[in-house]
Amino acid sequence: MDVPDGAAGRIERDRARFAAIVRGHIKQDLRRYVTGSELIGRKGRQMVSIPVPRVELPRFRFGRNGRGQGQGQGERAADEGQPAEGQGAGAAGSQPGQHLLEVELSLEEMARILGEELELPDIQPRGRARVSAPARRFSSLRRSGPRGLRHMRRTFREALRRELAGGSYDPSRPGVVPAPGDLRYRSWKDVPRPEHAALILYMMDVSGSMGREQKEIVRLVSFWIDTWLRSQYRSLEMRYVVHDAVAREVDQDTFYRLRESGGTKISSAYALAAEIVERQFPAAEWNVYLFHFSDGDNWSGRDTERCMSVLRERLLPGANLFCYGQVKSAYGSGQFKKDVDSALSGDERVITAEILDREGILPAIRQFLGRGR
Amino acid sequence: MERPDAELLALQREVEARARDAGLDPPEVEYRVVDHRELNAIAAYGGFPVRYAHWRFGMEYDRLIKGHAWGLQRIYELVINTRPVLAWLLRDNAPVEQKLVMAHVCGHADFFRANAWFAHTDPHMLETMAAHAARLRELAAAHGQDALESFIDRVHSLDNLVDAGALRRARGRPGNAPPLDGPLAPGDVLGHVLRDAPLADWQREVVALLRDEACYFLPQALTKVMNEGWASFWHSRLMTGSLLRDAEVVDYACQHSGAMGGSDGPMNPYKLGLELFRHVHARAGGDSGGGLRAVFDARAVHDDLTFVDAFLDLDFARAHGLGADEAACAAARESLLAGLTNAGQPVIRRLPSEPRELELEHVWSGAELQLDQAEETLRHLHALWQGPVRLHTRLDGRALLLSAGPAGVTRELGEALAEPGPPPGA
Repeated sequence: MDVPDGAAGRIERDRARFAAIVRGHIKQDLRRYVTGSELIGRKGRQMVSIPVPRVELPRFRFGRNGRGQGQGQGERAADEGQPAEGQGAGAAGSQPGQHLLEVELSLEEMARILGEELELPDIQPRGRARVSAPARRFSSLRRSGPRGLRHMRRTFREALRRELAGGSYDPSRPGVVPAPGDLRYRSWKDVPRPEHAALILYMMDVSGSMGREQKEIVRLVSFWIDTWLRSQYRSLEMRYVVHDAVAREVDQDTFYRLRESGGTKISSAYALAAEIVERQFPAAEWNVYLFHFSDGDNWSGRDTERCMSVLRERLLPGANLFCYGQVKSAYGSGQFKKDVDSALSGDERVITAEILDREGILPAIRQFLGRGR
Repeated sequence: MERPDAELLALQREVEARARDAGLDPPEVEYRVVDHRELNAIAAYGGFPVRYAHWRFGMEYDRLIKGHAWGLQRIYELVINTRPVLAWLLRDNAPVEQKLVMAHVCGHADFFRANAWFAHTDPHMLETMAAHAARLRELAAAHGQDALESFIDRVHSLDNLVDAGALRRARGRPGNAPPLDGPLAPGDVLGHVLRDAPLADWQREVVALLRDEACYFLPQALTKVMNEGWASFWHSRLMTGSLLRDAEVVDYACQHSGAMGGSDGPMNPYKLGLELFRHVHARAGGDSGGGLRAVFDARAVHDDLTFVDAFLDLDFARAHGLGADEAACAAARESLLAGLTNAGQPVIRRLPSEPRELELEHVWSGAELQLDQAEETLRHLHALWQGPVRLHTRLDGRALLLSAGPAGVTRELGEALAEPGPPPGA
C-alpha cells in the first residue's frame, strides 16, 4: 500500500471537532470566566485566548486523590508510535499535573456564548442607519466560474432554450443536455449595506473610596458589555470619562488604572458626558449607551439633584440606555442607586444594578443588556 | 509527502550499510519526506496517516503544533512498526540531521524485528488501520456520527484494559489482540467485554477494532526506554564511529545532547535507555570482550521493566547520581520500576464471577487510582456491560469497593488492610 497524502488536511477536521467540544465546555463554565480576570489581557483584536482544563477521557490511572500522597507516576504522555521529541524539554513525562489548554476563540463567538447563556435579546437599533462598507451578495449569474458555483436550474433553462430555438427539442423525449455555452455560475454583486453605529460611554468614579477590587469588577463588567455590543454593531465607538470632584475624558488604559483621592461629584461626569454626546454623537445617527459605575457615595444631595436634571434633560433623550452599576465598597453609602431609582423609576431607558462582589457580575450584565435596547 | 531524492537515498544506503557492518539487522525501511505540519499530523494519528477520524487525535495535534510554535518540542523523526518499516523525514532538516535520524531509525527498525514483544504485531498495520478507518466511516454512515463518536469515546476510556502478558503467547494467526475463543487473560477486560457483554453487532465491531489497535501499540509502551535507548546507542556509535564528516561533528553533538539532556534527569527515556545499554556493553567487556553480544541479547528478550531490574546496579546508580549505596540504589530502582510496571498503567483484572457480572480487582502496587476518573470510567464500563460492574481497590489504606449500577457509582469503604497504604514519601 502506498502511503496516502493529506493527513494534514484530515487532522484539521479532527481538530475542529475537538474545538467544538472545547467550546461546549467553555459554555458550561461561563460563570467562572466572567468572574475571573484571566480573560482580560488575553484579548487580541479579534480573538481571545482562553485557558480551559484539558478535555480528557477518564481512565483508570494512578492519581493523588487530593491528599498529597500516592506515587507520582507521571502520565504515559506519548504512548503510541515512537515520536522522537528532540530538545529535551517537553519530552515524555515532563508535563505539569495541571493540564490547561489554550483555546483561541473569536470575540464574536464568545459574545454568542454569552448571549445564549444569559438569553440576551438581539438589540433593535434606533436611528438612521449609515451606509457603509459594501456587502457581497450572491445574486447574479456569470458564464464562467468554479464548478462548485454552478447554477443547475439556470444552466438547464439555457440548454432548453437553445434546444427549443434550434428545433432539436423533442417533447416525447424531454431530456436536455447542456452544452458548454449553457453553463451558468452564481456570482456576487456588491450591495451597499446600511449599518447602525453605536457609542459606548463609560463613566467611573475614581475617588479614594473605589478600591482595586471595585475597579476590577468594573473592568470585568465592561469587558463583557464591550464584547456583547461589538457583536451587535459593526461600528462601535468608545469613550471613557473618569471623575472624582471633577471629570475628564481619558483613554481606555487610563480609565482602568487611574486612582485619585478626592471627593465625588457625579454631576461633573454627567455634564461632561452630555457635552461629548451632543458635540460628536448626534442621536439621529448614533445608538448611545451610557454606563456609570461608582460606589454610590455622592458629595451632596444637591449634586445628586443636579445629576438627575442632567440625565433627564440632556442625556436620556438621545440615549438607548443609561446603566448605573453600583459596586459595593467599604466606604460607599450606596445612596446614589436609591436616588436614581426613585427619581427615574419607570423610565425604561434606565437600569440600575448593585454589584456586591464578583458573583454579581453576571446578573448585572443580564440586567443591563436584557432589554434588547 | 514525497519519496526521498537521490541524495537522501544515497545517504540511506550508506547509513544502512554501516549499520549492517555493525551487526544490526533492520528490515527494509521506506522513508517519506514531509514538512513539520504533516509530520505533526501523522504523529497525532499515532504514526498512521490513514487512521480513523476522532477528536482525540485533533487534540493531540493541537498540543503538538502549539509545542512546536512555542519551541518546546520538535519531532525530528517518526517511525512505525510495519513491513516495510515506514519512517518520515523532515524536509528542512540539514543533511547531518537526516543522517542522524536514519541511523536512529535503523536502531528502531532492528528493535521492531528482534525484540520478543513485537513477534506478533501485525506487519501490515498500515493497511489494517486504513481498513479500520473505512469500516468506522461506514458505521458512522449507518448509525450516525454522534452515536459512533460517543461510543468510541467510551471505548477509548477503556483501551488500557488489555493484558500485556497475553500478547506474548504465540498465536499463529493474524491480528494484534489475543483471540476470543481461547481462555481470556484476566487483565484482558476489553476481551471480556467483547465476549460477554450484550453489545449490538456494530458496537462489538468497534470494540474489536479499538482493542486490536490498543494491543498493537502496547508493546511500544512496554519498551519505550529500551527502544529509544537502543536507537540512541546505535546512532551515537554509527555517527561517531564512521558516518560523521569532520565538519558535522559540532552540529551532531548539539543535536544529540539536545535529545539526551533536558530537565527530566535520568527518567528521560532516551538518556536512561542509552546509558543502560552503554552500561551493559561496558560491564560485559566492551567491544573487545562480550559487550556487543550482551547488548544484542538484552534488546531481544527484555522489556523496560526487566531491563531496568536486571541492569540498574550500584555501579550505574553511582555513575548517574541515582544513589551512593545499595539502599539508595534499590530505592531508585524501585521507583523507576513502579513507573514502568504495566507501562505505568494500573493493573486491573477480572475476578471469577457470574457471566453477567463484572467483578474487577485493581492489583495493588502501592499507588491509588485517581478516584473521580475511576468512577467515570466505571460508568462507561457499565454502559457497555449493561449489568453490575464492581471494582475492588484501596483508599487511605482501607479496602474500597466501587459499584456501578443504573443509578451511578457508589463507594463502600471497608476495613483497614494489613499492608499500609502508599509508602510514605513515595
